[in-house]
Amino acid sequence: MSQEAYVDPATAVLWDQSHTEHDMIATRTLGFWLYLLSDAMIVSSLFASYLVLDHRVNAAAGPTAGDVVHPMAAFWGTVLLFSAILAYGAAMVGLKRGNRTAVLVGLGGAFLLGGGFLLAEGYDFAQLALHGMVPERSGYLSAFYALVLYHGAHLVFGVLWIAVMMAQVARQGFTPNVVYRLLNLKLFWFFQGFIWIYVFSFVYLAGALHVH
Amino acid sequence: MALRKEHAGPPLSLALLLFLGGCAQRGFWLLHPKGAIARTEWHTTVLDVAVMGGVVLVAGGLVAAFLWRYRVGSGSRKYDPTYTSSLVIELLVWGVPLMIVGYLSYFSVKSVFATNPYNPLAIRHALAHPRQTDEAMGRRADPALVSATAPGAHAPRALRVDVVTTDWQWVFIYPRQGVATVDELVVPVRTPVKFDLTSATVVNDFFIPELVGEIDIMPGMRTKQAMIASRTGLYHGYSDDFSGGGFSWMGFSTHVTGRAQFNGWVRRVRAAPDHLTYARFGQIARPTINLAQRVRYFSQVQKGLFDHVIERVMEGKVYRTPLAMTEDMTKPMKVRLIK
Amino acid sequence: MLVDYPGPWTPLLGRLDAHQIPLQNPILFWTFVLVSLGAATVLGAVTYYRSWGYLWREWLTSLDHKRIGVMYCLLGVVMLFRGFIDGVMMRTQQVMAVGPKSPGYLGAVHGYLPPYHFGQIYSAHGTIMILFAITPILVGIMNIIVPLQIGARDMAYPYLNAVSFWLTAAATGLVMISLFIGDFSHAGWVGLSPLTELAYSPGVGVDYWSWAVQIGSVGTTLASINIIATIIKMRAPGMSWTKMPIFCWTALSTSVVGLSSFPVFTAAVALLSLDRYAGTHFFTPGLGGNLMLYTDLFWIWGHPEVYYVVLPAFGILSEIIPTFSEKPLFGYITMAAASIAIGGVSWSVWLHHFFTMGAGPGVNAFFSIASMLVGIPTGVKVFNWAFTLYRGRVRFDVPMLWALAALVLLLTGGLTGMMLAMPAINYTVHNSVFVVAHFHNMLNVVGFACFGAINYWFPKVFGFKLDERTGKLAFWFFSAGTVVLFGSMYALGFMGMPRRIDYIPFTSWRPLLIGEEVGIFLFLIASYYMVKQLFVSIRDRAKNRVTTSDAWGTSRSLEWLAHSPVPFYNFAVQPHVNARDEWAWRREHGLGHVRPDHYEDIHLPNNTPLPLMLGACAFALGFGLVWRMYWLALVSLIGIVIIVIARSFQDDPGHTLPGAQIRQMEAVYPDIPREAGATGGMLGGVVARHALAAPRSRARDD
Ligand code: HEA
Ligand code: HEA
Ligand code: CUA
Ligand SMILES: [Cu+2]
Repeated sequence: MSQEAYVDPATAVLWDQSHTEHDMIATRTLGFWLYLLSDAMIVSSLFASYLVLDHRVNAAAGPTAGDVVHPMAAFWGTVLLFSAILAYGAAMVGLKRGNRTAVLVGLGGAFLLGGGFLLAEGYDFAQLALHGMVPERSGYLSAFYALVLYHGAHLVFGVLWIAVMMAQVARQGFTPNVVYRLLNLKLFWFFQGFIWIYVFSFVYLAGALHVH
Repeated sequence: MALRKEHAGPPLSLALLLFLGGCAQRGFWLLHPKGAIARTEWHTTVLDVAVMGGVVLVAGGLVAAFLWRYRVGSGSRKYDPTYTSSLVIELLVWGVPLMIVGYLSYFSVKSVFATNPYNPLAIRHALAHPRQTDEAMGRRADPALVSATAPGAHAPRALRVDVVTTDWQWVFIYPRQGVATVDELVVPVRTPVKFDLTSATVVNDFFIPELVGEIDIMPGMRTKQAMIASRTGLYHGYSDDFSGGGFSWMGFSTHVTGRAQFNGWVRRVRAAPDHLTYARFGQIARPTINLAQRVRYFSQVQKGLFDHVIERVMEGKVYRTPLAMTEDMTKPMKVRLIK
Repeated sequence: MLVDYPGPWTPLLGRLDAHQIPLQNPILFWTFVLVSLGAATVLGAVTYYRSWGYLWREWLTSLDHKRIGVMYCLLGVVMLFRGFIDGVMMRTQQVMAVGPKSPGYLGAVHGYLPPYHFGQIYSAHGTIMILFAITPILVGIMNIIVPLQIGARDMAYPYLNAVSFWLTAAATGLVMISLFIGDFSHAGWVGLSPLTELAYSPGVGVDYWSWAVQIGSVGTTLASINIIATIIKMRAPGMSWTKMPIFCWTALSTSVVGLSSFPVFTAAVALLSLDRYAGTHFFTPGLGGNLMLYTDLFWIWGHPEVYYVVLPAFGILSEIIPTFSEKPLFGYITMAAASIAIGGVSWSVWLHHFFTMGAGPGVNAFFSIASMLVGIPTGVKVFNWAFTLYRGRVRFDVPMLWALAALVLLLTGGLTGMMLAMPAINYTVHNSVFVVAHFHNMLNVVGFACFGAINYWFPKVFGFKLDERTGKLAFWFFSAGTVVLFGSMYALGFMGMPRRIDYIPFTSWRPLLIGEEVGIFLFLIASYYMVKQLFVSIRDRAKNRVTTSDAWGTSRSLEWLAHSPVPFYNFAVQPHVNARDEWAWRREHGLGHVRPDHYEDIHLPNNTPLPLMLGACAFALGFGLVWRMYWLALVSLIGIVIIVIARSFQDDPGHTLPGAQIRQMEAVYPDIPREAGATGGMLGGVVARHALAAPRSRARDD
């Protein structure tokens, strides 16, 4: 005898004939949120490592945050990145209206601006490397590169994904699959901006304020 | 072991007796502590086992009783599938363990401070009340210890020993005495000993089961440990954290001697021809397995060697393990073996 | 490239050359011969019986959660056996190499294994057992059971599910191939830092370990995502949170733990790989590295991981015990709450794995108390199981035996866990075999639960029960082995014996080491009976066929409403849930055999070989990186990207099964028990579509 026999067995509904289709888009988005959570854990680990290794001892008599970061350069990067996010937002508005061109234009903008951010970051790192500030130099530099480049690698992937989505929007239009991917990509893209806020404040701003 | 010798004391020592009764005296090092720290640790063990053992027996007994009572074929007519929850039982099963954990937490905190490697209260306590600490464990008080701190006797000054581990040997430096040894530790009885420890290579763990619990030894860092031995004798010490191919042979013997013997030993070491400079240390630190437990003495030690080892490691000095030592599973070990 | 490691390197083969195949080592040589023979036999048999097509269609490319689950379990059991062989080798070495006078063979100074080989064995053993044996078995069981228990047709993301599995398989493949090409790590399953750094482990062993666990943990993270989403989104109508079977609660809790902790592990090991490949200084002793950072990151994952494996085991016990007590689970709500609590607290105790690192007394005290707090929800579980037995009708079928023994093990393991959680005690037994005994005691809770689960759900999946007599023999020998071996090990802990030693310096430890060897013999007999149980059961499957959906007659949750063996579409019509123990509720109200009167079309995803190919690429990526064949790594990485993109353009349309066909297939299953069970190619287990669709399917039984 089960403990909760509230339901009258005589009239109980046993089978669900009402054709419950699971909401595919919502399910996919949930999964993507969960993925983002797991990624956030990796980012937190990297942040933890950065904060542990951002110490005079860990610079091994080499450059410290103050020598490495250029908040102004990073500021322009930030502007680029957030414009890219804005552009993606515009694409989402286009999606709501069902306007294919608007979506393509928005995605294209995000692609270019995101790519611009990556180029700027690449230039920045090339400069660092030229000055001998390579990850092999010290624990601090290792952590710095790992954290910032992890974000950068995500952007590379994001830009690639945007390109793929442009192809799919152009070819297939707004099928459910394309729509859920656009929504997930939005989460992904915004998430990168979110992480950048932390990178910018904890690495670039805090680094510039370091007094040695 | 004769039971009569034990003080018939609180139930704790009874539990202790049960433990001791079942085992051969030899070999069960943790059960026969020879120092204040080790004794506190063993005391905590007994207490925890007694409390948790009680709880576990109750839980296990309950399960066993219900299994027996309600097994098919037991003839029990009490089958009642509607009995699926009870507020009282829920409160009990959450509340009682909570209280027990609270009780154990209290003891845990207390014993953490008593055995804190950086400042063990147990040693202070042992020096202040030697008789009491010994008797609390239901053991015969060590008469020697009692007299050492009898009115008039002042607490002995602590001995300092710097410990450096290499792959895979122990270097013990006596900074005040200006001598050093490899793989042999000699300390006077009833004297607090303070260790500073670091490693030239990977992480090791300093452990003398009968005298003191473990403390990690890490490259580029300094940890501390303190102990006091209440009985003279030979005790085994070894590394307790895997450190590569020679790990199993990484033992050292610990001689606890009388004060006079200790001084005599220091004089003997001072006669040794070898000197421990940093360069000499570099030779010792080459991966070596001391199969034969050969002991070496150094009559002089370069000043600040211990700190120098730490600094050099922080600057990136590594003593590489040769590939042949780590990878080759077919040929005999290809490192320096001291046979 | 960026780092200097000893030994030659060529662009094509990287560090690999013919010397890396250790044929001159007789142990490895004969293992190699045996494994090759075994593989040849299996492949030969598949070819002989022309089963390649069947294997490919029904298994390798399948997206069916039950198939994937079965493959997970199979992988896990095979690896469990491999881990066992490792255990036999370790125990034998330790009993041989006692004291300075003990002889040495095969190049070892004492015993028959030189230090580095011994180190590899326990490292491989620990890694395999935890990540590639017990975890796959549990994920497999969750895969099979969770969708059935919540009345779903599949996992939320069937494709992702297959990807997770093949990633796990690829990682396992890497560990296995390290036996024959190169070496495995010697730095323990925890990757002791800085021993794992290139300076102290210059070979490829640590790389094998690190890539295998990275790939494997990505797979497990994805699996966790899938299970969480499945439980949140796919529950049958009527199944509110408080009606969800308790196993699903533990699966949910465990997956949350997995999702949030495995990425930390991936990150920690990835940083280690950067040290080894790019010459960074995360965990090096010098130049600004911090090796304690690794230890922290590792255990921030490592501790939750042990609860990740024990929570589903608790779920399994909570399913088996009520079934064989003929009573609902006692205290359902608190059981669910305790599962969540254990998962939650597991996050705040990691430091108890390195109490000896010299943290201040305040820190150690905090983590001591936090660790002991876990005992409370665990105790709640124990007592609630006890009260489930109370006023029940207890039968001792094989699954119940495993479950009850697991309960006892949990008590002793918990006792020793509570000892370790007190720093003052931990200082004396940390890194001794006492710890080893503690965690084998605990992990055997999981092992016993897995064996129980396999015995319990086997008829659900394959349509026939496992043999009872051999099952009981296996149980008793396994239990005896556990007691003898790990009992001796506990005692050795009090003698101060360190873990991970290949040579035993003190002869006073010998008697207990011999005791452990006796335990190994008992385990050997147990595994003989396990294999025999499987063999006998398959041979006598007609006799052990279950004729109803409810193999044990007293089961409770929804999976027992589905036919045995479960058809590929699970439920022809989605059930509506009315009670917490829905199946028991229906059975008790005489509704157990009420059929739906109307069948709708079912939509199912198509098979696809892409997950398998992804797994293959991941394997090649790992292999390329291990040997620093950078071209291979790059090619397989590009392969992965291409497959992912290609899949996104593919837009699997799936296929639809018309309701009429389902009605016809369902007709195979009787409402009322009858002598011969429902169809089922034995090999297929979970019923294959061709077996159902073709009318001759019934003839295949005999
Ligand atoms: C889930 C995890 C798990 C499991 C189940 C086991 C099971 C066993 N383990 Fe292990 N072990 C670890 C995890 C595990 N271990 C870990 C993490 C370490 C630490 C590594 C390190 O130091 O880094 C370790 C270390 C370890 C050591 C090293 C101790 C040391 O450091 O000195 C030893 C030595 O004896 C050992 C032995 C055993 C034995 C004898 C078993 C036995 O219980 C095995 C029993 C299994 C069987 C008897 C097999 C059953 C049969 C089959 C599966 C075949 C069935 C086939 C069909 C049905 C077709 N283990
Ligand atoms: C399934 C795996 C599993 C489980 C469930 C546990 C459970 C526990 N473990 Fe264990 N543990 C491991 C696997 C596991 N452990 C592994 C693999 C390692 C070592 C890895 C390595 O180093 O290689 C390890 C190591 C380990 C250590 C570090 C040892 C060292 O290296 O020095 C500690 C220390 O605190 C510890 C503690 C505990 C505690 C307190 C529990 C608790 O959860 C136990 C709770 C259970 C009970 C308490 C019993 C039942 C409760 C009652 C009967 C009610 C009454 C209870 C109270 C009043 C408290 N474990
Ligand atoms: Cu821990 Cu240094
Ligand atoms: Cu733990």
